[in-house]
Amino acid sequence: MNAAPDTTPPTPLPLGYRVPSLAYRIIVAGLRVIVSFVAFVALPVAALAYLHSRGIAIPVSIAAVTTWGIVLLLLSAARYVLKPTVAYGPLSVLLSGVFLGYLYYLVLLSPYKFALPGGTASIAAGYSMFLELLMVVPALEIVAGVLTTVEDVAHPKERLPFDYPV
Amino acid sequence: MAAQGIPTHRTPPLIYRVARALRWTGTIVLVLLVVFAGTVAYSAYETAHATIRSESFSGVFVSNGVIEVSGSFVLSNPGIYPIESLELAAHVANASGVHLATLAIGPKTIEGGSTGVFPISLGLPIDASSAVESLLFEDQPIELSAWANVTYAYLFPLSIALLETRSWGAPFEGFAATVGTPTYNNNEVTAPVTLSWANHADFDEQGSISFTVESAGQVTCGGGSFPVDVPSGQLFDQTDVISMSTTCSPSGGELLLTYSVAGTSTTFPPEPIP
Repeated sequence: MNAAPDTTPPTPLPLGYRVPSLAYRIIVAGLRVIVSFVAFVALPVAALAYLHSRGIAIPVSIAAVTTWGIVLLLLSAARYVLKPTVAYGPLSVLLSGVFLGYLYYLVLLSPYKFALPGGTASIAAGYSMFLELLMVVPALEIVAGVLTTVEDVAHPKERLPFDYPV
Repeated sequence: MAAQGIPTHRTPPLIYRVARALRWTGTIVLVLLVVFAGTVAYSAYETAHATIRSESFSGVFVSNGVIEVSGSFVLSNPGIYPIESLELAAHVANASGVHLATLAIGPKTIEGGSTGVFPISLGLPIDASSAVESLLFEDQPIELSAWANVTYAYLFPLSIALLETRSWGAPFEGFAATVGTPTYNNNEVTAPVTLSWANHADFDEQGSISFTVESAGQVTCGGGSFPVDVPSGQLFDQTDVISMSTTCSPSGGELLLTYSVAGTSTTFPPEPIP
């Protein structure tokens, strides 16, 4: 005797996820910091030092670039390490807020005024429009961070299967 | 037939998808802006190394007492972004700070990969009656102050201020005019008149200098004319013997000179006769 076919839709099982270990995330975050340090701190500082060595006034102090850069890198590393936790959203907002503050600080320094060696010509270069466009990036990230925070509070760990699929 | 118990693919929650879309959008914008900034830096570097050269500058007397220095300068833009809203203003003053001329160009646009040619013309008032008559007779430094505003690569406004000192070569450097001792011969009185100068201007002089010898009582004793054909950088030193009225003594009087060229004339300051 044949059994009647089961017409009940299959019940979805919870999606699995595999969060990398804390040690793994710390190591990867450290490697990202090293690469990012070269791109966002070392190269800009080298460029500024080159201008300074040629007797050309620099638009922003080397100390400021280094400080802002290191703070951003550390926050970025912390966000990566804490991505599986509810701290990810707030850290995203904080990181983007600091980035926004950095860009605003640079906008305040525009235009970049300097004199060519020899003193016969002085140049003022405005870059605030470019930075204002760049501000779109952290602004979007802040909104995304707020949404992630809301999601983590309302449905803890709901995003983990999509952030760390098996 | 699908076996029961296999996990069903689940669409991420809406809030997650929105957050992810925002992050992706931000990342794409960031990448595009970084690439844009890189190309702008490269393009600006190329443009900054392009030569700004001047072409065919020449000076000519265009009206009574005014020398027009005209020519053009050429600005290459080998970069990929346009130079827009190029405006240039220049102010020329002599060493004493006396304003001589003003120049304005623009607004102009030089597209990427092209070259802009800008004709310029500066009228320098050098008439002996003006405050800057020394330009006629003395080599001297001239201060050129220029300001340029430009927008590069759509987003980057630039202001450039330039202060340069150029040397001015006087067309009648070291001008000297003398009337020699009159010679009395029967009923005729003659006197040598000597003119000398160096043409330090960058243009040739072709015209004539007419002169009149006046007595102390402003009576005309006589006069004459020197044809002038002095290439740039050459000297002029000629003497002409003129006949004068027997009743007129040039001593204590003045030598009045006028330089004429191409329908214009420039009056020189009176030269006292000892």
